[in-house]
Amino acid sequence: MSELLLRLEILTSELPQRPETAIVLTLAAYFAGLRLFGWLRSPAWCPPILLAACLLAGLLALLPLDYTEYRHGVGWLTWLLGPATVALGVPLYQQVHHIRTLWKPIVLTLPPAAILAAGYAVGIAWLLDAPPTVLASLAPKSVTAPIAMGITQELGGSVSLLMGALLITGVMATLSITLLARWGNIHDQRVIGFALGLNGHAIGTVRAFDIGPTAGAFASLGMSLTGVFTALWLPLMWHFLG
Amino acid sequence: MLSILRGFLILTAFLMLGDITVELFALPLSSGVAGMLLLTFWLLLRRRLSHDLTAASQPLIGMLALLIMPGVVGIFFQADEFSGQWLAIFIALILGTLLSSLTTLWLMQHLVSTPRERPHE
Repeated sequence: MSELLLRLEILTSELPQRPETAIVLTLAAYFAGLRLFGWLRSPAWCPPILLAACLLAGLLALLPLDYTEYRHGVGWLTWLLGPATVALGVPLYQQVHHIRTLWKPIVLTLPPAAILAAGYAVGIAWLLDAPPTVLASLAPKSVTAPIAMGITQELGGSVSLLMGALLITGVMATLSITLLARWGNIHDQRVIGFALGLNGHAIGTVRAFDIGPTAGAFASLGMSLTGVFTALWLPLMWHFLG
Repeated sequence: MLSILRGFLILTAFLMLGDITVELFALPLSSGVAGMLLLTFWLLLRRRLSHDLTAASQPLIGMLALLIMPGVVGIFFQADEFSGQWLAIFIALILGTLLSSLTTLWLMQHLVSTPRERPHE
């Protein structure tokens, strides 16, 4: 009996560090988040990933599990982000024909718009005396998460703060573009879709597909191009400005 | 199933290629992004998308939200690190996103409706 207790004790100290524990918790929270999202009738201001992250944070806080231990255990899952980022090249290739039909507005809009998407936020935060870590975490705020994570690591930002920034940006871009398009009397799905993808990454793209397939296609194009363009210019500019 | 695995092999091979390119030329890019760019160029050159690649990339892209969750959760455990910064962060994000949305819509709308207008020529 005492031997059994001893083994139980060893198990409780080992279990939190195992990959399966971290992966079970992550997957369970993910599906619970999706279920909850359905129950709440899919609110646009609260993407399922936010619900799932809150549930997972609650689980981690309740269980005798350290965040660093969890990060270590879940490494196998986060590694998959690498091949998943590479996989984004496939939809980018599939969207290329849209560039051919409307290349001039796209080529002329993308650089200033993508630079300003980062520039406004970094400029405002800098004026408000935010430290360099915060600036580096906010800079890729309009870039789709897997690419943005790579960028912020290059710049020396915090991945966690970036994730929060991505959520707020996505929700805010979706709201402001919907309202601005209504006030400005803009009905062109290509314009609205491109703006949604460029500013609101994946969250904006989901909204664009609600508007229509054309808006969705231009949103995924805007999202991919912004990701690629920002991944190229932002680290270079950052090193240049010091 | 084998098709997915073959596609996964291609994706991971491009990730490796991206890794090598980044290390070799000391590029300020993540290996994933470099791999994505290389894959896009390769597809543009070949002008053909194999069934294997679609079979592997679709589920992976669908899983992205799950894959970034561990990173998202960190904000709850590292919130103290940014205490005193939150107001600046919120103002920067909300105002910055509003301004950039306005700029993009304005630029794109003008360029789409007057495609012949070239301000620099």
